[in-house]
Amino acid sequence: MGTKDETNGFKQGLPKGAALTADPWEEALHKVAESADRAAFQLLFEHFAPQIKAFLMKGMSSYADRSQAEEMTQEVMIKVWNKAASFNAAKASVNTWIFTIARNTRIDFIRRNTRAERKIEIEDIWHEADSPEPIVDFQQRRVEVEIRNAMSTLPAEQALVLEKAFMESKSHNEIAEELDLPLGTVKSRIRLALNKLQILIDR
Amino acid sequence: MISYHPDSRFLTDFASANLPMAQAMCVSAHLEFCGKCRAHVHQLKEIGGHLLSQIPPVAVEAGSFEQLMSKIASPQPLPTAPSAQAHNALTSIAPKSGKETYLPRSVRRLSNGSLQNLGWAQFGKALRIAPLPIAGETLETSIYDIKAGGQMPEHEHRGEEITVLLKGSFSDADGTYSRGDFVVRNAGEAHQPTATQDTDCICLVCLERPVRPRGWFYRLLEPYIQYRLHSLKRNGATH
Ligand SMILES: [Zn+2]
Repeated sequence: MGTKDETNGFKQGLPKGAALTADPWEEALHKVAESADRAAFQLLFEHFAPQIKAFLMKGMSSYADRSQAEEMTQEVMIKVWNKAASFNAAKASVNTWIFTIARNTRIDFIRRNTRAERKIEIEDIWHEADSPEPIVDFQQRRVEVEIRNAMSTLPAEQALVLEKAFMESKSHNEIAEELDLPLGTVKSRIRLALNKLQILIDR
Repeated sequence: MISYHPDSRFLTDFASANLPMAQAMCVSAHLEFCGKCRAHVHQLKEIGGHLLSQIPPVAVEAGSFEQLMSKIASPQPLPTAPSAQAHNALTSIAPKSGKETYLPRSVRRLSNGSLQNLGWAQFGKALRIAPLPIAGETLETSIYDIKAGGQMPEHEHRGEEITVLLKGSFSDADGTYSRGDFVVRNAGEAHQPTATQDTDCICLVCLERPVRPRGWFYRLLEPYIQYRLHSLKRNGATH
């Protein structure tokens, strides 16, 4: 895919002192924030919009058709444009930041299409600014790299449940139902996966 | 000191946004008190970010970018664009100390900033309950206010019950819970919470109801009416 080359292109443009693990998309996002840079935004769009669309199509299959997924993708990218200035590289990678926006847009869409109450905003609950202040930036980003590296070492059955949870937007219960497994098995597979990723919950 | 946290199921389903709104609201309330779980949710979101970067892409339609740029050039308000207030005034994190009531962002929104604005129903001398307008299909969410030293009548849950303490503390046979704690009771478990002596206890409670009788307000109150009558018969005032 051509996106890899664009990625490298941005790496060359990184400021001095940036870590080797630095996020190649930060630069583009900063250009959008600082000068409403259309070319930088187009690169972001070409890379992320097809991923966002794929994510929305997986996660909203029972709610949306293809044209709605296209429209929602644009909605996510409009938020990327509007919120670019609020992106904080110390808190999250661009991938994760965009995942969060796409995730919130998805549940907002589902809510709009059901008879749900409107008194509360999605972001009153799923805050985009929910970063943990006790963790210093360097550590935060180190953890992120570790998670990425460890993801490729997960056994297939553990990778599968994470894929269903995060990309297909299924709860533990829904995964258990779909895979015809007891809830406890799904829970333990996810826990084992999280332990491997050094996300140590439940202790 | 927070000792009871959401487990990996709640945190994962929260981070992937697969929890019902009412339960997500409870997790979110806990997160405002708990840096440790905020860090975990943050790590879990990294899984989402990573998997998104690995997803087989689906091509957007021809002209999609130009269409997008024309939308940006003539902005239309998004259907549920969060207000500026949502980003600024409502983002504070719970203070570490202090006995004042700290309301999580979602509760502040639903109560227009003050619990006084909610519709309260009094049950005996020790307990009052205000339902929050976020009821889902099978979930009911409310604020409980238990007077200092007050005891709730013993009750049994028909479904899962989540309690997040917003102020004060309470205890039951299994332990003592304080501000920020996320306490889960499963269907069939009975307990009789008692607020500690020195301060009123305010909780966010989300109750799962497996069946769906008519009238949501009545459904909410129904189990309490039962035990309220019990306790009044037994010992008059509950404290
Ligand atoms: Zn916690």
